[in-house]
Amino acid sequence: MTFSKFDTLIVERHGPVGWLINNRPEQLNAMSSHMRDEFGDAWLELDADPDVKVIVHTGEGRAFQTGVDVQELATDGVGMERYRESVENWDLHFTAWQQGVEKPVITAVNGICAGGAFHWVAEADIVIAASDAQFFDPHVSVGQVVAVEAIALLRKMPFEAVMRMALVGRYERMNAERAYELGMISQIVDPPEKLREVAQQLGETIAKNSPAAMRATKEALWGALEYGLTDGCRAGAQQLVSMWGHPDQTEGPLAFAEKREPRWAP
Amino acid sequence: MKGSRPSVRSARPSSAGADVYERLVVERNGPVGWLIFDRPDVGNAMDARMMTELEEAWRELDDDPAVRVIVNTGNGRNFQTGLDIAALSRDKEAMTEQSRRTRDAELRFTAWHNHVWTPVIAAVNGSCAGGGLHFVADADIVIAASDATFFDTHVSLGQAMSYEGVGLSHKMAFEPIMRMALVGRSERMPASRARQLGMISQVVDPPDGLRDAAQELAEKVAKNSPAAMRATKKALWGALEHGLTDACRAGAQELVDMWGHPDQNEGPLAFAEKRPAVWQTTQLEES
Repeated sequence: MTFSKFDTLIVERHGPVGWLINNRPEQLNAMSSHMRDEFGDAWLELDADPDVKVIVHTGEGRAFQTGVDVQELATDGVGMERYRESVENWDLHFTAWQQGVEKPVITAVNGICAGGAFHWVAEADIVIAASDAQFFDPHVSVGQVVAVEAIALLRKMPFEAVMRMALVGRYERMNAERAYELGMISQIVDPPEKLREVAQQLGETIAKNSPAAMRATKEALWGALEYGLTDGCRAGAQQLVSMWGHPDQTEGPLAFAEKREPRWAP
Repeated sequence: MKGSRPSVRSARPSSAGADVYERLVVERNGPVGWLIFDRPDVGNAMDARMMTELEEAWRELDDDPAVRVIVNTGNGRNFQTGLDIAALSRDKEAMTEQSRRTRDAELRFTAWHNHVWTPVIAAVNGSCAGGGLHFVADADIVIAASDATFFDTHVSLGQAMSYEGVGLSHKMAFEPIMRMALVGRSERMPASRARQLGMISQVVDPPDGLRDAAQELAEKVAKNSPAAMRATKKALWGALEHGLTDACRAGAQELVDMWGHPDQNEGPLAFAEKRPAVWQTTQLEES
């Protein structure tokens, strides 16, 4: 089913999997101000849809995403100033993490992933990539600072690789193989054309698990990035205990014992 | 390094009171400043004087606007083997000040200790042992010769490993650090494993190509906006200090602080005009 109330995104459902597809292929899916607003709505729509258990995010064309639309910035007379207040107040809404999405999010990187695109790599739960995907961060090569997207990323993988990408800028690209070695992504899809098929399969696999348990797990593990170890465990314990008494908690072991598929609470 | 390059030995007095560095070689090669450990006979181990000179050398290179990137390596067959235990046992007095700094977490011998905001590449030649890991943990980018090895002798010598491991534990997988710390001198991590783990990003083979590779990498980095790289370093190193959300808030400030800086307009303009960007070299106000 395709339901297109968005100009810059495609939002679709396939079985239990909701798809959010960057759809400005001519601009290598660079984010215009309008697209930035649409992201906020699309994440909330998919997160609120009870039929959607897992969300996959990918891009149309030869790039996954290439950050903010520099063409728009350079020509609209407003530039980055449009975003000053929201950045200064840390009031952003274009990623799943920023929107507090509770469902599992898979980013499926097709082709080029550059600069601000790392927001959706850093802020997804699971990241897979086509074998021809390329990762680089040209910010400092065009006089811009690398900050927020890399901050989340370096919490999740070796620091040096992120810093090298940030400081070398456009003069070097990381391939999918190296991203896999470093644990930035967990799967390489070859040939690249099979990316969406594989992402759908992975989404369906994940959709078999208890939504409530996954919701609590996400909250515990992302929460761990906020604290020192002991505080992280204390906060995580709350998520653990929150599942006790939930119907899924007894349904899971029961279904396992009865050798049948579990019936999860929505 | 290429033999023909112009190389200037610093004549600036070190704070140790001599006219030139005795424990280090400090050089410039194009936009790249080189800080080279130079006690090859003792594995480049640090005595009190070397520690003092390091503080001076980092400051000198970071303050030099012609230096866009700093490469840190060692002369001889070792990169750096930590504190000079022999010197320490000969003359405990000489280390009194460094011991105090260690106790008070006021060390001043790495780039990070000295708040160096110029990008720093560590180029690890040969052994990097014990306190040598400080210079890996505290660099922005780390490359190594294919024969480089990483190990931590502290516990084998009855010492605790602390700062180096704490720094590394924020930057890579934890288990390999703990293994290195607890196995001590009986095991060495090869460069290939360090690269797999993302402790380093490049292995140079043959090993004698290390300095050329470091110079080449540094020249790429040197093409980027110094102001943007400085703000990027502050944002990303600062991120290790806070929880994710607080780190993002602090990082957003670094981001916004760059808005209105001449480099921020020059970058996209140069890109559109298909020419190299002309970056502002004078440092604006530092926070």
